[in-house]
Amino acid sequence: MQRWVTGAEPAHFLCSPRLSRDAVALELMKTILSVTVSLFLVLPSFRATFADDLLPADQPIPTVIDHYIDLALVDTEVIPSAPATDANMARRLYLDLVGRIPSMAEAQSFVAAADDSKKQQLIDRLIVSPGFIRHQANEFDAMLMNGKGSIRDYLLTAFREHRRWDEMFRELILGESADVEQKGAIQFVRSRAQDLDKLTNETSVMFFGVNVSCAKCHDHPLVDAWTQNHFYGMKSFFSRTFDNGGLIGERDYGLVSFTTTAGESRQASMLFLNGTEVEEPAPKEPSDEEKKQESQRLEELKKNKQPPPPPEFSRRAQLVRVALESQSNNYFAKAIVNKTWNRFFGSGIVMPIDQMHPENEPSHPQLLEWLARDLINNGYDLTRLTRGILLSNAYARTSMWEGEQPPEPSLFAVALPRPLTPFQYATTLRFGSRSPETFASDLSVEDHEKRVEAVETSARGLATLFEQPYDAFQISVSEALLLSNGDRAENELLREDADSLVNKLKVLTDRHQIIETAIWSILSRPPTADEFSMFDQYLAARENQPIQRCQQIIWILLTSSENRFNY
Amino acid sequence: MKSPQRFLSENASGQAFNRRSFLGGTSLGASAIASNMTILNMLKSPALAEELKRQEKRVILLWLAGGPSQLETWDPKPGRPTGGPFRSIQTCLPGVQISELLPAMSQRLQNTAIIRSLNTKIADHGGGATLMHLGRRDEPNVKYPDLGAVIARELGRANSTVPDYVTFYTATEGRSNALGQAGFLGARYMPMFLTTDSKPENLSRRETISDVDHRDRAELQKLLSERFGRGRANATLASHNEAYSRVRGLMASEELFNIEQEPQAVRDKYGPSLFGQQALVARRLIEAGTPFVKVSRAWWDSHGQNFETHLELVAELDHVMSTLLDDLEERGLLEHTLVITLGEFGRTPSINPSLGRDHFASAWSTSLTGCGIKGGSVYGATDEDGNTVKDGEIGAAELFATIYKALGINPHKDYFVGSRPLPLTDPGTETVAEVLA
Repeated sequence: MQRWVTGAEPAHFLCSPRLSRDAVALELMKTILSVTVSLFLVLPSFRATFADDLLPADQPIPTVIDHYIDLALVDTEVIPSAPATDANMARRLYLDLVGRIPSMAEAQSFVAAADDSKKQQLIDRLIVSPGFIRHQANEFDAMLMNGKGSIRDYLLTAFREHRRWDEMFRELILGESADVEQKGAIQFVRSRAQDLDKLTNETSVMFFGVNVSCAKCHDHPLVDAWTQNHFYGMKSFFSRTFDNGGLIGERDYGLVSFTTTAGESRQASMLFLNGTEVEEPAPKEPSDEEKKQESQRLEELKKNKQPPPPPEFSRRAQLVRVALESQSNNYFAKAIVNKTWNRFFGSGIVMPIDQMHPENEPSHPQLLEWLARDLINNGYDLTRLTRGILLSNAYARTSMWEGEQPPEPSLFAVALPRPLTPFQYATTLRFGSRSPETFASDLSVEDHEKRVEAVETSARGLATLFEQPYDAFQISVSEALLLSNGDRAENELLREDADSLVNKLKVLTDRHQIIETAIWSILSRPPTADEFSMFDQYLAARENQPIQRCQQIIWILLTSSENRFNY
Repeated sequence: MKSPQRFLSENASGQAFNRRSFLGGTSLGASAIASNMTILNMLKSPALAEELKRQEKRVILLWLAGGPSQLETWDPKPGRPTGGPFRSIQTCLPGVQISELLPAMSQRLQNTAIIRSLNTKIADHGGGATLMHLGRRDEPNVKYPDLGAVIARELGRANSTVPDYVTFYTATEGRSNALGQAGFLGARYMPMFLTTDSKPENLSRRETISDVDHRDRAELQKLLSERFGRGRANATLASHNEAYSRVRGLMASEELFNIEQEPQAVRDKYGPSLFGQQALVARRLIEAGTPFVKVSRAWWDSHGQNFETHLELVAELDHVMSTLLDDLEERGLLEHTLVITLGEFGRTPSINPSLGRDHFASAWSTSLTGCGIKGGSVYGATDEDGNTVKDGEIGAAELFATIYKALGINPHKDYFVGSRPLPLTDPGTETVAEVLA
């Protein structure tokens, strides 16, 4: 108890190791917190959303996160779980930052390091590595494209050049087909251009955290402020967009009309989610003859694989403009803050993440507000946000809950096990089935990187066999059957290749050494005494099948829950 | 570990080690006891016993892909300009006639309800198939579960060792329209989807590992996963353990897909057609406890040569369906099993210049047989040429509500996705009481 009493800031003392859970400790903690909070002269009310009420903008992100998270913990009298072990932390950070598990050498060197700032050093090293760019591209590709095509090449370039999120948004919505690089970005629109309702709704979900599809057929049942006008108002931004032989065009005319539940026919105008209406020059409806000429021109362009001419007045450009204006950009900023938070915590500050509307309160409104402001003030820099979240104590807790009933996920009092995304899992399986020597610590940085990238590339096929996790995700029995009996699982993970883990283990005669190497290689941690004993019995009973027993142990570890989740 | 022999594959004398005996103290033993206790407790409570009874109910969907003609099946119009060359025949029901292409079925309508008044409006393959799988239109951002997923969820057992949703679709035409969709119910309820032959993928053990090793490695993996799960109460994590715990049971169910296990006499009855063989597998699965099996037969899309196509396909349907119904009845399964014939739509009454019939969703037919159905009933009617529904018009929603009700499932129950309630059928949807027992 001595250690945390001396903590000077609320951001740090709550997460010191091993808190006792008795009431005395809780009372003491509350006293300390009330003193430290008063240092900020802020006693926030949960409804406040004004910048004046927020912690100062110059505070470090992790300090602010822990301040607000800890306030709610004290309020609800919940003592958070202890910090994760070093080995757990290393695995979590590698999976979150570079989309793979650490090698045995990487995990062991992190655990062995005595430096107090080793976590920060690791984050700072990984976040500038090429692996981070590839992992960001994979994650955003899955998020933006939903498996309908890929814009990975565009994303790789964008992340490599540290492009701002607002810039990427502009390119994804407005990208010019003629521009080599933006041609990739505009696939976001093109892949949905056949179904404008879908384009409208998925744009709202991805960039503004709002699912407007409820308001298509009737006024939103849960949100008074949202009517059919809002759905069709959002749709109006896309209504003139069309696909001309794989190239996106936009017309200068055309209006959206819809029928209300009362049966009244209405004309929609461009209306952003916050109620901002966008004026436009009166559209001139072309004559039939002009339309005929237009369609002939488009046919011609299609034949020559030329993009349609840009409109004089682009409605999509209006969406980008209005969404990034200072009075409305909090939708855009909060949505990506919430998505990023959800990615690293397994639960958003607003849940579900596509229901960021006035009737669905965030669990920590001021934190969301502060982080959104920070993002806007710092050039929509997602790497800065990611680094800030990963440095917080809230992120660093163990996922083990010692008490009876685990606390609500919205308190962020205990880490949640997060199912790996298809790329993370496939890469982890491939990576874990390699011999530790493949990634030995004496390799040059370049060679190490080359080998890692080769493993990632080799995992791309396997990744297509897994499902992208969603809210309340369930793992299917076909995945279990595939990994239990599929020839692909056997060929890709258990074969005796030169650099395979099987090859490494089969020549070891000391069973403890086999167990130690296998568990470090796959689970990135030392075996427990129980595990030594269980695996030892398994191996001892199979002395006469030296290769198969190693394959079986590798299979057990690769397919275990521990290896399926980022915990 | 208390028992040093825990992972011995064989003992010294070469006999398989009795692993169950030392599992007694572990969580596996405990959970086995717990599930038995659950059943006992359920039997004590009338409400829960009812629940258990409901769970014996099953569905076989004969999916007639491409859209069968109602005029050459359940709703013939002989002698009319739209009637085509085939006659109608008297059935075992007074005053009820069906196409002469269904002679066997005509004498077996005592457990069947014919519905002749579907108006489902969507007449393209993709849209129609989606509608007739979901019972509603697709929405941009809500993924609804299809009929099979709902039935698997409602009538399947969580820890079942047989698959709870199996789909056969061997043809390539229309297959992508008939893919299973578990939607917001989650991957747990995706179908086992069989396309290439009648046996599912990844169900057999590879020859490179012995059965004992396969079993033991799965047990050690389970033990490890269970230890990892302690202190980590999480539904997704639990689904991982559950998926793996079903593997060995499902592998044991592989024999269900093997019709060579059936007496030759039974196989002869179903006949040599793939449709017949898969119907027999469906019966084996149903018997073993699978709640939903879809057997697809393609391709009924007779834009040209409608009558030749139907001569062949309806004859096969008549034979397979009547054999299946007889077999289910003889085994006492029909009372608990609902057999449905359905496609994405019907076909135009007008006959086109290629002697074909085109897509038609405004007035077509389906049949429901067995569980919860008032046998020998005919519901709804079309006009004399079959162009419109003149009596008892229903859409996909009403049909699905009726199917749910026949199986004892409340058609108006809500699922929740986040805070949004999603009713099983749209509010205000009524069942067709006239065909319900």
